[in-house]
Amino acid sequence: MLFIAAPFLVILVSLLIGRYPVDIATVINILGCRITMQPCYIEDIYQTVVWDIRLPRAILGAMVGGCLAISGAAFQGLFRNPLVSSGILGVSSGAGFGAALAIILFHKVAAIYTCAFAFGIFAVILSYFISKVYNGTPTIMLVLGGVIVSSVFSALLSLAKYLADPMNELPAIVFWLMGSLASARYSDIMIAGIPMLVGVGGIILIRWRINVLSMGDREAHSLGINTTLNKGIVIACATLATAGAVCVSGIIGWVGLVIPHIGRMLVGNDNRVLIPVSFSLGATFLVIVDDFGRILTGSEIPLGILTAILGGPFFVYLLKKTKGGGW
Amino acid sequence: MAPLLEVRDVSFRYPQALILDKISFNINPGEIFCLLGPNGCGKTTLLDCILGWLKPYAGQVLINGSPIDNMAAPQIARQVAYVPQMHQKTFPYLVRDIVLMGRASFIGPFDVPSEEDVAIAEKALDMVGVSRLKDRPYTQLSGGEGQLVMVARALAQNSPLIIMDEPTAHLDYRHELIILETVVELVKQTGLAVLMATHVPNHGYYFENQGIKTRAALVKDKQIMALGKPSEVLSEQNLGELYSIRTRIINCGLDDGGHLKQVVPICTINSES
Repeated sequence: MLFIAAPFLVILVSLLIGRYPVDIATVINILGCRITMQPCYIEDIYQTVVWDIRLPRAILGAMVGGCLAISGAAFQGLFRNPLVSSGILGVSSGAGFGAALAIILFHKVAAIYTCAFAFGIFAVILSYFISKVYNGTPTIMLVLGGVIVSSVFSALLSLAKYLADPMNELPAIVFWLMGSLASARYSDIMIAGIPMLVGVGGIILIRWRINVLSMGDREAHSLGINTTLNKGIVIACATLATAGAVCVSGIIGWVGLVIPHIGRMLVGNDNRVLIPVSFSLGATFLVIVDDFGRILTGSEIPLGILTAILGGPFFVYLLKKTKGGGW
Repeated sequence: MAPLLEVRDVSFRYPQALILDKISFNINPGEIFCLLGPNGCGKTTLLDCILGWLKPYAGQVLINGSPIDNMAAPQIARQVAYVPQMHQKTFPYLVRDIVLMGRASFIGPFDVPSEEDVAIAEKALDMVGVSRLKDRPYTQLSGGEGQLVMVARALAQNSPLIIMDEPTAHLDYRHELIILETVVELVKQTGLAVLMATHVPNHGYYFENQGIKTRAALVKDKQIMALGKPSEVLSEQNLGELYSIRTRIINCGLDDGGHLKQVVPICTINSES
């Protein structure tokens, strides 16, 4: 229950927080009349701040955080490795390069989304086929493929930075790579939301199978599941979710690695529970971090920086409190 | 009627080397079949072929008369369960979650285990006598307990045949016996068939001494060198040939009037070849 309510609660709270003060009654009023499609009798400036700026940002933050965390949890199970994160197959580095390319070539936001998404997916497909060179995508080959593809795209990203115009393009690339939700609009949610929802939905549906896959290919086969097919589904879903998230938010580290571990400490390792809980924790965490990013200083602090700075100490605190939960 | 498992002229090769050359045998319900042979003789490869994990380049594996080439993973898993030799532990799943995984072949890809699956898993834990462990992380179990949990997981698969790959490796005397006693109990109660790869010839004698229909196959030079009842096949001469060791078979009476047959190793011999 708490895990279902938490993201909604923090989204609500984040509507109150920011440079421009809005009290809770006004927020509830605005939400009430907007959702029920009634005419609103509140000043337009409040409506704009709450409904058009803060709400889409909070919703997008929750979706991005949830997607990164759930993909991280799924990949950790699939690769049988607790150190794996949502970017293991190269989706983040691919998306980073795609975004940089779009910034240099097209200077349009829509192009950045499309390019980042496409290159993110492309990177994972490359990793998958590199591992196919060896018979039937064994896990270790997938990881190796991911490492290779990631490093190639990192190099290409550096090249893009090197060639970018240092006055306007380079800063844009750097800021994109640090991650931000500042430009969030409903249209972003609509477009990027489709791959995110498909990915998350798929992972939630197949979540118990991830337990079985984490026994290793051979045992999973003997337990009666088609390992190639099931691994393919998990990878496709996690990649859709992560690429959808990364293309609108930029690179946000940490969430896809550590949030699943916070979930493991709180509810254990059974993916039936861990997978949905990871989504909820990731969503809650990113909305809170984004709120801090908005209010801590006069200008916004990029998300990718804050996730680790705020999340690190919290992780240590939990580690101490739960004694790690059976590791 | 077709045998439960028929291995028919199975040959397997890696690109560089032939591993198995025309292996044939049958297994019937209620039978324990021990597979013996030196390290690297291809026992595990043979088991992988039977599980459908590796594909023989010639010959066939048939379950209840139908070739496993035509069977998907869930269909095979409903007929053959597997207790691995070395289970590499990753996440600290609870024991009950591990045993529940035995139900995978009955649960759709986008489904979760039902109440009935949970009940079957609990019964499996009960049958091997480790219900008390069900809420423990399986990473914290001792080697013997962990192996019993793996047997319970195989039981939850409800398959008529269980394959065990050296189930007593690394176990102390007591836990080795617990595993053997559990296997005997299960075969007696449920009419299961067990195919067990083992390095201990006395396991064959143990099952025979317990009055269970037991056969042993000795694998040497990619082929089955001898196949039959332990008391016939596990002879001083055969074991000498199989392992290049000198042994002595001893017979002794037990206090309760029973009769015990065991093999005792004496020394290695240098093979002439």
